[in-house]
Amino acid sequence: MDHKSLVFASVFPVPSISHTTPTPIATPDLGFTAPGQSFGGALSSNNAGQHREVKRNLAWSTATRFLSLPKAAYGEHAQFATTGYGRPWKGTDVTEALEYLLAGDGRSADDKEDGLIDWYTNEVRIHFVSYVHPALRSIWDTEVECQKAWSALAETQQILQQFQRLCLQPFNDHILPVLQQDNTKTTSANTQTRGTTQVQPSFASWKFQRNLHALFVHSLPSQRFSKTLSYVLYNSGCRLFRIYVDKGNAIPGDETIENIPVLRTAIMQLLRGLHEVGLGGEQAQKAFAHAMDKLMGSFIVSHYMKVDWYARKSVIAHLRQWVKDGFSTLVRQVMDCLKEESSSLHAIELQQWQDMAIGRLGRSRVENLFDFVINWDRSLGAILDIKEFLKTPAAKAHLSTSFSQQVSRRLLHPGATTTYILNVYIHIIRAFNELEPKGVLLERVARPVRRYLKERDDTARIIISSLLADIHDEHGNKFVTSGELSYEIAAEMQKPIPTFSQDQDDDLNWNDMNWQPHPTDASPDYKKSKVEDVIWFLLTLYDREDFINELKNILGDHLLRNQDPEYEKEIRLLELIKLRLGDDKLQACEVMLSDVLDSKRINASIREDKIGPAIPPPLPSPHTPENIPRTPQPRRPVPAAASLKPPSTPTVQEPPSHILNVQILSSFFWPALREDTFLVPAPIHAMQRAYEARFERVKGMRKLRWLPALGRVKVELQLDDRTVEADVQTWQASVVYAFQPQPGEEWVGRGKGKGKASGEGITRNVAQLVLMLEMDELLVRNALGFWVGQSVLKETGTDTFTVLESLALETAASAAAAQDAAEVMQAESVQASAVVSQSDLLMQNKELYRQFILGMLTNQGNMPTQRILMMLKMAVPGGFAGGVDELRGLLGELVGEGRLGVVGEVYGVRKG
Amino acid sequence: MTTSDISSNSEAKISTPSRSSTSSANVTKRLQTELMSLMMSSPPGISAFPNDENLLQWTATIDGPDATPYAGLSFKLSFEFPNTYPLTPPTVLFKTPIYHPNIDFSGRICLDILKDKWSAIYNVQSVLLSLQSLLGEPNNASPLNGQAAELWDKDPVEYKRLVLARHRDDEETGLGSF
Repeated sequence: MDHKSLVFASVFPVPSISHTTPTPIATPDLGFTAPGQSFGGALSSNNAGQHREVKRNLAWSTATRFLSLPKAAYGEHAQFATTGYGRPWKGTDVTEALEYLLAGDGRSADDKEDGLIDWYTNEVRIHFVSYVHPALRSIWDTEVECQKAWSALAETQQILQQFQRLCLQPFNDHILPVLQQDNTKTTSANTQTRGTTQVQPSFASWKFQRNLHALFVHSLPSQRFSKTLSYVLYNSGCRLFRIYVDKGNAIPGDETIENIPVLRTAIMQLLRGLHEVGLGGEQAQKAFAHAMDKLMGSFIVSHYMKVDWYARKSVIAHLRQWVKDGFSTLVRQVMDCLKEESSSLHAIELQQWQDMAIGRLGRSRVENLFDFVINWDRSLGAILDIKEFLKTPAAKAHLSTSFSQQVSRRLLHPGATTTYILNVYIHIIRAFNELEPKGVLLERVARPVRRYLKERDDTARIIISSLLADIHDEHGNKFVTSGELSYEIAAEMQKPIPTFSQDQDDDLNWNDMNWQPHPTDASPDYKKSKVEDVIWFLLTLYDREDFINELKNILGDHLLRNQDPEYEKEIRLLELIKLRLGDDKLQACEVMLSDVLDSKRINASIREDKIGPAIPPPLPSPHTPENIPRTPQPRRPVPAAASLKPPSTPTVQEPPSHILNVQILSSFFWPALREDTFLVPAPIHAMQRAYEARFERVKGMRKLRWLPALGRVKVELQLDDRTVEADVQTWQASVVYAFQPQPGEEWVGRGKGKGKASGEGITRNVAQLVLMLEMDELLVRNALGFWVGQSVLKETGTDTFTVLESLALETAASAAAAQDAAEVMQAESVQASAVVSQSDLLMQNKELYRQFILGMLTNQGNMPTQRILMMLKMAVPGGFAGGVDELRGLLGELVGEGRLGVVGEVYGVRKG
Repeated sequence: MTTSDISSNSEAKISTPSRSSTSSANVTKRLQTELMSLMMSSPPGISAFPNDENLLQWTATIDGPDATPYAGLSFKLSFEFPNTYPLTPPTVLFKTPIYHPNIDFSGRICLDILKDKWSAIYNVQSVLLSLQSLLGEPNNASPLNGQAAELWDKDPVEYKRLVLARHRDDEETGLGSF
């Protein structure tokens, strides 16, 4: 009781404040007479009532004085508890008073009078507020630090428990026995009359306890308390299962708790204690639920649930085991502490917990699915985890959205090379195939990737070149994945061709006893792919036509470069693609392949032929193949692997070892080929003529058109101090051959010999070479650069080159320069492929395009750029090799020449 | 050779649609080739270009030959190729109004190679060249426009005047703006 109320009470004694003033102060209640009764009288009941009032007040005074709690702060309670109570001696008057008040006539007869129990409850309440609450507030008024959480709870529990004991003791010792006694008395007698007002002792006890607990609960800041409790539970849960999530928050100073059984006991003890003081109620259960929820989360991100990268196994079994044996056991134990009646765990609860745990694990795995996909194979464990998670439709939706987001954020951006994307796509295919063999998910997540890949213009090229690539280089090592080749695809190619029936409609196959409906979540265009075959997915990326066109180009280039005489890879690839895309469209490719194979045969037969009769002089053919209707297109031979040896000595030897291998191509089926023409060295030319003649005899008057720019030459250069051997492009060979001293024999009619017989080496300039070889300047320069890089030539002046007969004369510096040049050329020669590139095509066909544009605008009137582009693409055979920008360039040129006029985007022919 | 080919071809067209589609593919191919050669070696004063992607309808332009009443004028023509082309001739009409003995006022042309003398070796270029020369050398023996045939010999000045009066520049193309 605080000082103020004491002062107040001393002046105006208020019974409700000071129960320790037992003398009746209030004017006795004389009551009223009922209507119709005489007013007053000696024997009226009022007298009896008054008497009872006085008696009750006396008893009340005695009892309350006896029962009042010691006025001492919390710390001293310990003394009371231990040394017995400083309670006045319980005399007979007290006993009588108690009996009178509790069981006798003094019991509160109606609502106007306070019952003794109520008074005691109130007394306890006031005592609590005055003496115990401050102690609690010192613990709970401020934020409870994590480290102190446990001790705060323990202390609180201790304080409350002591207080509870203090309060309950008088109640149990003095009040309850009276009640029980009374109860037994009344139960033996007829209870009917007093049944309603009868205070059942157990009920009184329960009520008192409940009030007490309510007091405790309300005295603590509930939010803080439950947080602290939940933290403590979570923390000890973590330690029980040895989950180390964040080390910073461990409760220090509780080393004993490292011992797991001890810890477990400690927790149970604490909880039981809390339960005893009434803090184990709903609030604590909520806090516990919260803690367990968090615990499960922590367990899932803990090291126990790490992806198994080595054994590649799912951790789901482990998780289930933990939920069953660890988690639910703990829950049961805790619940036993918190609840009076022991609850048995239902099997369905366990199942739910397991599902929940798997769901969480799955979600946390899905967040990193992209990483797992990239590391596919080693991440099998994680994928299997997710597979387990994928049992509900919601999980699938979650997965596909989440993964699509990851893909678009991490993969489909300009920074990723096409090869990388392709590789990841292959991983996606494999991983999702494991994840969901039906392929619905794969279809869904792969769609954006496929769409993106389609937009990249180098996709088809990379796929096909990778399919044709050698998986091992000559050293037998795995090749380094360059920007252009995908190792994954190449590796895929090594696998045996799967056999599968093509385009068979399973739904119409009535005899299929294994038929199954499509998955319910499949999209309408879902097609069950029986073969889980990466190449199939890659090949279906494109429309057939586009893909085949690209295939034609790359295959053509590849066939021309190929060294493998058997063309195994190419044949295989073609078969593979035929299986998937149908063979009707691949005619051109087949022709190409059979061309090179035929060429081999023809080469062999013609070479044999050579030994036979003398070579007849080449006859001019009476009619060109172009005039023969419906014959195959003229075949264009490509000299391949001819070897020539231009010696540096002035005398030109004619070594018989020149071998001319010719590729005979059906130009109609081949992609546009490089058609630069130039003069090949005379000996080669002679061989070409001879070959032509023989070919015409073998092949019945078909004429050959030579494409000198294709093909490869093996050259051996004998210089003064060394011999250089190289496998070079034909124009490079021709250029170096032109550095041979040419005395002006009859075959050099086209070029003028400038040979110097000195050992110094021959000097020529670019213009001369262009003239001599009738070669494009670009090619001449390319070749010169190449030979400078090979240290065969040296640039002595602007555009002037000299043969380096003796390397010893060269300084190291120029050697380095040569090295540089070599590197530059290396880079450039990659560009010079056999098949004409798009920009080359644009340059080559520029005149054609101009004609078409003029013709179009003359006849069709003025047109905007877009329409011109569309018409060009449609009208020009082979299409327009470029886009709007290239077209604008062309149109701009024409406008500049005054042939076209332009208003805005609309172009028209200028008249006059 | 041509007649038998025609009959077989038309039969094929009726009997199987697939064959007919191949025949139209042949037409396209042929027209593509013609277009290409026309573009690559277009003789002065004539040009032609398809109207849209199906290639069966073209528009052509002929400049009037020098030293004729048509000098300095240009004429548009429309070509319509049948599916049986080149076994049957294209339908050719003058789109630009022209005053000429062998061309009527709706632009129909009386030229033997477009009718009974057609042969598969003719092509757009040869047709255009024939028409160009027809401008300079009309066949007055079988005129569609009798007055013109008469005037051609009698009154070149009046003829020229009528030619100019009849001629309209193609306003559709609006080339004047350039």
